[in-house]
Amino acid sequence: MRRLSYLLREAMTNVLTNRTTTMVAVATTAFTFACVGIFLLLYVNLRAMANSLEREIQVIVYLQDDLPAQGIADVERHLRADRAVASLLYVSKEQALIEFQKQFPADSHLLQGLGQNPLPASFVVTVAPQFRSSESVKRWAERTRMITGVGQVQYSQDWVESLSSMVRYIEAAAMIVGAILSAACVTIIANTIRLTLYARQEEIEILGMIGATKAFIRIPYVLEGAVLGLLGSALSLIILKIGFELFRYEIRSTSRFLGVDALLIFFPLEMCVLLAAIGLFLGFAGSYLSLLRFAEGRG
Amino acid sequence: MIQLFHVSKHYDRRTALSDITLEIEKGEFILLMGASGAGKSTLLKLLIGAEQPDEGQIFVQGRNVSKLSPPEIPYLRRKVGIVFQDFRLLPKKSVFDNVSLPLLVQGATHGDIRRKVLEALKAVGLDHKKDQYPLGLSTGEQQRVCIARAIVNGPIVLLADEPTGNLDPDLTSEIIELFKLINARGTTVLVATHDPQVMAQVNRRVISLNQGKLHAQPQIAV
Repeated sequence: MRRLSYLLREAMTNVLTNRTTTMVAVATTAFTFACVGIFLLLYVNLRAMANSLEREIQVIVYLQDDLPAQGIADVERHLRADRAVASLLYVSKEQALIEFQKQFPADSHLLQGLGQNPLPASFVVTVAPQFRSSESVKRWAERTRMITGVGQVQYSQDWVESLSSMVRYIEAAAMIVGAILSAACVTIIANTIRLTLYARQEEIEILGMIGATKAFIRIPYVLEGAVLGLLGSALSLIILKIGFELFRYEIRSTSRFLGVDALLIFFPLEMCVLLAAIGLFLGFAGSYLSLLRFAEGRG
Repeated sequence: MIQLFHVSKHYDRRTALSDITLEIEKGEFILLMGASGAGKSTLLKLLIGAEQPDEGQIFVQGRNVSKLSPPEIPYLRRKVGIVFQDFRLLPKKSVFDNVSLPLLVQGATHGDIRRKVLEALKAVGLDHKKDQYPLGLSTGEQQRVCIARAIVNGPIVLLADEPTGNLDPDLTSEIIELFKLINARGTTVLVATHDPQVMAQVNRRVISLNQGKLHAQPQIAV
């Protein structure tokens, strides 16, 4: 127990003795983590947006204009039997016209000039969750287009696809930037620990002479690194949260993006804990690396 | 207790120790004499596994030191107390904390640490200075703290490397009397020195080293 309290006290002494170095290391680590965090936050928000859009994917199956009631019933039976169809709603030609007039009241005179209703009847299909990927929807639309009585199949997949691919790019960028900046964090912490090690070189030698094991000598420094990593990641989360709230406030006060602020999300609690744990682990890795190099240097 | 068989140690082209064979019995007080560079410190380093011999075998209490793996070395050092010429105390720790270090690394209990540290400090006459810091002590007191640290965990052997090198004749005499006292309690003591005053005052078996070679090994003079 006394040994444990000694090791913890030594780690704390290391942190407090080199106050300036510690503060610089924590601040640098925090800003480095915050850079990764910005990418992650962007990714989390776009991913959430893409997911919500995918949930709302609806496909409109337009019927041929002269299709008799039996043909409509055949198409409906066909669609209901399809596993990819979660639900469907029939919109007759008349309903389509009313809907058009409701949505575009200023343009309704254009249709009146034609003399007859040019809008086709359609089925609005909600795709089952397991078939919502862009590839699946595309394949399903091509298959449905071949059904007798179906004129056209339209889905607003294009821009959902663009968003999904953008999310993938951001995901890849976040991973690359994350890996590079994580390495930077490890190096920053490793250098800080190295300074402590050189400052306490004599103490380390004395401990070795009086029978301290390598683990006993190393634990305070490993703890110091882990504490630096944890403080750095915690500070970066605070910086990100402040930045996030300021950004949301700015969006809210700009009428052009009305409603967008409600869609923005910060990291959920479990992700904050995970990021703090990653910081702790990187700090641990940095100090361990430093101890290995220090041991090599002393032969 | 300690046996060396044909031990040699070289650093690049320089020979620090050459074909040393000697035996030290339990409870002996030995003086390891020799000028600077004679190989005294190298011999002490070999005994605690800080260096490995290039040739020969070293046994401490029956264990072959030259064959110990790195993780086993700390356990050897816990049986050996070391006194340095420059004391090597931690300036930011109190006298009590400095002396308690060997017990801490062994995982001794709070009560054991307190009792043994106070005993060791009493043995060197510094129990009243337990809360002071090394830099506030005289050189003689610092060396006594170093000795307290070396004996606090009851080592089987006490090694001292030029323990009086930084001390005046009065303090030297004081420290030697302390070593005699520790030896009288049963601890084997090996003092490496080039100080004739120490030899005159100790009047025990002397091992002389000259340019890495065992020069003379007189019998115990009583």
